[in-house]
Amino acid sequence: MNTKRKNLLFNPALATMLTLTLTIVTMQVNAQTQSRPNILLIVADDMGYSDLGSYGGEIKTPVLDELAQQGMRYTDFYVSPTCSVTRSMLLSGTDNHIAGLGNMGELTAPNQVGKPGYEGVLNKRVASVAELLQDSGYHTYMVGKWHLGIKPDQIPHARGFERDFSTLVGGGDHFDDGWNIEWQIPRMPYTEDGLPVKKLPRDFYSTKNYTDKTIQFIEEGRKDKKPFFAYMAFTAPHGPLQLPDDWLRRYKNRYDEGWDGIRQQRIARMQELGIVDKGVNTADRLFFLPRSTTLTPAVRVMQGRTMELYAGMIEYMDDQIGRVFDYLKSIDEYDNTVVIFISDNGAEGNNLRAMVSGQMGTFGFLHAMNNFAEEGHNSLGRKGTFAEYGPAWAQVSMAPFRLYKGFLAEGGTRSPLIISGPGVKGAGGINKKAVLHVKDIAPTILELAGIKHPATYKGRKIEPMQGKSWVGMLNGHTQSPRGAGDWLGWELFGNRAIRQGDWKISWHYQPLGTEDWQLFNLAEDPGEQYDLTDKYPKKRKELIALWGEYVKTNGVIIGTRSPFEQMSKQLPNRVPESDSYPPVRGMEAIPFEKLLELMNQ
Amino acid sequence: MNTKIRHARLLAFVTNLAILSFSAPVFAVDDGARAYWKTREGSTVISFQYLNLNLQASGAQQFAPGEYIYPNSDVEGNIVVGSWARHMTLFNRASSFAVNLAGGSVQADIGVSLPSQFVPPGETAGVAFSQSSSGYADPIVQLDINLIGTSQLKSNVHLFNYEPTWTVDIAAMLGIPVGEYESDKLVNLGLNRWWGRIALPIKYHFGVFSPGYMGSFEIIPSVWLFEDNDDFIGQRLENDPIWQLEAHLTQDFTRSLFGSIDLLYRKGFQSTIGGVETGGELDIGDLGYALNFTSTDNLMIRTSISSNVFGDSDVDNSAIRIQFVYVWHKSSENFKKLQQH
Repeated sequence: MNTKRKNLLFNPALATMLTLTLTIVTMQVNAQTQSRPNILLIVADDMGYSDLGSYGGEIKTPVLDELAQQGMRYTDFYVSPTCSVTRSMLLSGTDNHIAGLGNMGELTAPNQVGKPGYEGVLNKRVASVAELLQDSGYHTYMVGKWHLGIKPDQIPHARGFERDFSTLVGGGDHFDDGWNIEWQIPRMPYTEDGLPVKKLPRDFYSTKNYTDKTIQFIEEGRKDKKPFFAYMAFTAPHGPLQLPDDWLRRYKNRYDEGWDGIRQQRIARMQELGIVDKGVNTADRLFFLPRSTTLTPAVRVMQGRTMELYAGMIEYMDDQIGRVFDYLKSIDEYDNTVVIFISDNGAEGNNLRAMVSGQMGTFGFLHAMNNFAEEGHNSLGRKGTFAEYGPAWAQVSMAPFRLYKGFLAEGGTRSPLIISGPGVKGAGGINKKAVLHVKDIAPTILELAGIKHPATYKGRKIEPMQGKSWVGMLNGHTQSPRGAGDWLGWELFGNRAIRQGDWKISWHYQPLGTEDWQLFNLAEDPGEQYDLTDKYPKKRKELIALWGEYVKTNGVIIGTRSPFEQMSKQLPNRVPESDSYPPVRGMEAIPFEKLLELMNQ
Repeated sequence: MNTKIRHARLLAFVTNLAILSFSAPVFAVDDGARAYWKTREGSTVISFQYLNLNLQASGAQQFAPGEYIYPNSDVEGNIVVGSWARHMTLFNRASSFAVNLAGGSVQADIGVSLPSQFVPPGETAGVAFSQSSSGYADPIVQLDINLIGTSQLKSNVHLFNYEPTWTVDIAAMLGIPVGEYESDKLVNLGLNRWWGRIALPIKYHFGVFSPGYMGSFEIIPSVWLFEDNDDFIGQRLENDPIWQLEAHLTQDFTRSLFGSIDLLYRKGFQSTIGGVETGGELDIGDLGYALNFTSTDNLMIRTSISSNVFGDSDVDNSAIRIQFVYVWHKSSENFKKLQQH
């Protein structure tokens, strides 16, 4: 027996065959490892549609503009109107009502509590894209905002990220004070590689440190030549709007002219770039917002300060993204990296600070007193301040659309989308044909990585992905992953919407909606100004039927409580305005300095 | 909504920034902390302060403006100073003009070793005596213009954009010799001669330029110049210039309270009486501190104390001061009226 075995092992033919087989297997593994691209998924937090230079914004974003020139921009990319909801779809590839974020965990309505899909965390009915990539041999890294669960089995490390430096909650201080916007957890819980971070470094600033960690993780993991999936979930420019001191005045006085002029300039640039078609209806200023030319120069300077901070945060993020790109170039990995850049929802126009501070005498108010009470004009943007830029500037960020974060108007759900990297054709182009959704990203990443979405994961059945892979579109074979009959649906806080082709129906609480379905044609009316219900009742009916299908497919439960149900009592009165009152028409043409001179006289 | 909050913030900002500035120089030889801070053109500042001065000198010192130091004397002064100041724009720079009117009483107990040149008529050399004076001192006018760091502050827009770091001003003060003066007395409130001062106030602002977070280091080199007094106990009094260095380190503790550490050093002022150099030079270094409390949108109360801690050991002096400063601007007053509706 032994002799025979020995002979077999020393059989020259067999040995040659074994050697050849091993060589081929090794070559295949190497080939697979080398051909699979790295994936860098960058998510901005509450950044608007038109903020980037490549989307018409005046904010300096040279790195992302260059990325847009190397890759493709998409005009009709949709997210959810709030962050955790979008993130659940981003990582699962399926609808938020299935993935566990049927509502934001913090705002779950009484009748939604305990219902499947309303866990308020990324549930186990889905596998995260990171889990699947990790299992297939990718390094998986995450930095920044998680917001999909804080228990040990819900955190990034437990959901597929081998390394992370994450804040588990929705938002808060960008510095080392680390206060959370919610009093229930007064300090933002951070984890690093799955373990709690006890203390942030004194010079901590979110965007910078997330970038440092991204570079560190890639550097420390690259020895084995495995590709990486890095998820950079920046917390900028989510409120509080804060910046390091040397960036605070980067846009000083840039926005003194007021929101109307800046918005008009953006729309004009968007038309020049081809992001927005000329002649389409853009959204009017919301009824409760004053025309900026009715505001005194001092008030405009004061209001403009918050927009300066917001712009500074975006430029800072752009600068830090540039650091990552430079690093990838330095290790010859940039050309093998697919970069996807999105925002998680519309720009923030709600008064978040007031929402989280609550009424005097509550814990929320006490939390605000202790952590973010500072109000000084020159203090804004520093530690201890909670600057927000409000609905008027949010409408600028979401130009040419209506409304902003939280709403299912286009202003709440449209996001810029830039994709660049190997296999992405059409450098510098703008795709206006494709209707895309954030739940498409996970299936796209899996296809890029050569992974099939399984029916089960770790012994449990998981939901199929609803999103459609963009790979065919990226490599130029198709213009869109969706056909004419495909449609998208949304529901959040009781507001709801369906889009099919150019048509959209939406239902919003009053006073920003009618509490009835409205029909819009987005090709002609991206600003959602003209309800076509009476003109196209049949189309409206068809889309309402799709809404029924959406509810059934995803298990939607309309909440018995909504943050928007009392909005008519919260908003200011309608601004009185006509051609003759207030007598300011034409003042847009007066240069700000001249106006100041007139005021001084 | 945000707009309402920010309007309230506007009021708070404007009123707080207005109250920052004292503007008016005080009667004592030092200007005080934050005296050269600027506010909006058109702001008016009225200040009222009470000073209690105690000075003891054992050597041959002469008197200095605002303080009364006689050789071998024990002097107490109770002075009240009323000031009016207006912030304005000159040559496109933030500027201010101020007028000070001081008055009160001074009591001096003169020792036995008074040099004969100082012995007034009716008194005998070698015999201690007392003298007092009351009434008005010489009025003072002062003009201050910023040279570097603070351009015009004509509107709230300029105030909003105002975040100074280094600033340099030039200030000129003139004393008008109309105050109480009796030529046969040692103790007078007026100086009986034109006198003035040129100063170069320099500030460095640190911290955030926002109430509650502001800090500054201020240094004010200056020189006092004096015309001759041709009727000083029947003789001619000539004085060399006083070279003065004033410094303050200030820091906000809260939105309505700031403190300062104050230093004042003076040297010079050699006297010549009847052509004969008399006594020695001033060489006095005072150290003090001040607390400044903003009690309303318009009113600030300041208290300070300073005492001689270095320089000529022959002199002991101390000054206690309480000052009320009231600041207003038409627009912020009108803003408040509208807020009440």
